Amino acid sequence: MPHISLNGTKFYYQQEGNGPDVILVHAATSNMALWMFSGVIEELSQEFRVTAYDLRGHGMSDITPTGYTSHDMATDLIRLSDALELQPAYLVGHSFGGVISLHASTLAPDRFEGIILSDTYFPGLSSIEPNLNKIPIWEKWKNVLVDVGAPMGDILNFQDLFTAVDSLTSEQMQTLETTLDRFSLRWLLSLARLAKTSCGNDIFQEAGLTLERIVEYKKPLVALYDEHSAFSATKQFLKEKLSNCIVEDVPAANHLAPLENPMVFNGLIHKHLRRMALGPCSGPLRK
Amino acid sequence: MLDDLIALIKNFNGKEYSGQITDKTYFFADLGMASIDAVVLAERLQDYYGQKIPFGLFLKGLKEKNAQDIQLGDLATFLEQHIKRG
Repeated sequence: MPHISLNGTKFYYQQEGNGPDVILVHAATSNMALWMFSGVIEELSQEFRVTAYDLRGHGMSDITPTGYTSHDMATDLIRLSDALELQPAYLVGHSFGGVISLHASTLAPDRFEGIILSDTYFPGLSSIEPNLNKIPIWEKWKNVLVDVGAPMGDILNFQDLFTAVDSLTSEQMQTLETTLDRFSLRWLLSLARLAKTSCGNDIFQEAGLTLERIVEYKKPLVALYDEHSAFSATKQFLKEKLSNCIVEDVPAANHLAPLENPMVFNGLIHKHLRRMALGPCSGPLRK
Repeated sequence: MLDDLIALIKNFNGKEYSGQITDKTYFFADLGMASIDAVVLAERLQDYYGQKIPFGLFLKGLKEKNAQDIQLGDLATFLEQHIKRG
């Protein structure tokens, strides 16, 4: 299995295809299976060398007690790019993966050529984004846990979520087994392993990616926001303040576009990567 | 192909299965696999057969059927159709 050790932490990754380098960066609490299930690896690997990896603490990469801020994980991404000797790469980041991607690009601008982000909330833009607590995925899982009597507050707090899952009693687990499908249950229970880490708090730290740093980003940026995204203020901000930013909506999606509408999502990713990496004369998409 | 698949899954990703595995077995619900295990399975199968397997096509077929899980019989049939024998 392809693991690579970066500064003493083992990361799981996969690579497919040939061509300009693209790195896929999944969201917090997810893993690189997202990209396989969405079909985007198969689609992009026709024309690009696609690298997907599990963030620290996720999937099959090592769990570390600390090191989950966007700065920490951007540093992991830069190390991965260097260790695999990638050419300056294009980054595709889903949700928090978009924060990591932009942070990495500001830390090492010569290593990355452009970014496509998907429904990303930036802690550095918290002053302009009023809807963080309205992420549907948070509402859904908060209610699932509240319904079985787990202690959860109203304010979005992933550390509370991880701790609540880690503290479930056998009775609460039995109730969840009857109300959730196995796939959802396994995902929820997998969050327990993050309870003893700083991940839940770290991912909401600005960690140096301030509003000013975000506005300074000058390379190509595509901001995809889901039709039912909670982050319309962030979308509008990026559109107005970043001259190289193209904004597009993904219809029929609500924060999980790679899974909720993979056909449109993959098509947009492919189209914009071709435009950025292969130029305007790159011809129609191959089917 | 089903026999290959079962042999591979019997001792998979650090987990050993002593129970019966058949074409009716579900990858997530019955074997207790997580999503990342599907990535590893795909990688293992490509290594085993020494060729690229279009799993995106298989997963697209699952979505079209609105299937929430991978039944091993369906995967074995897909492999039969897409593995080029040397």
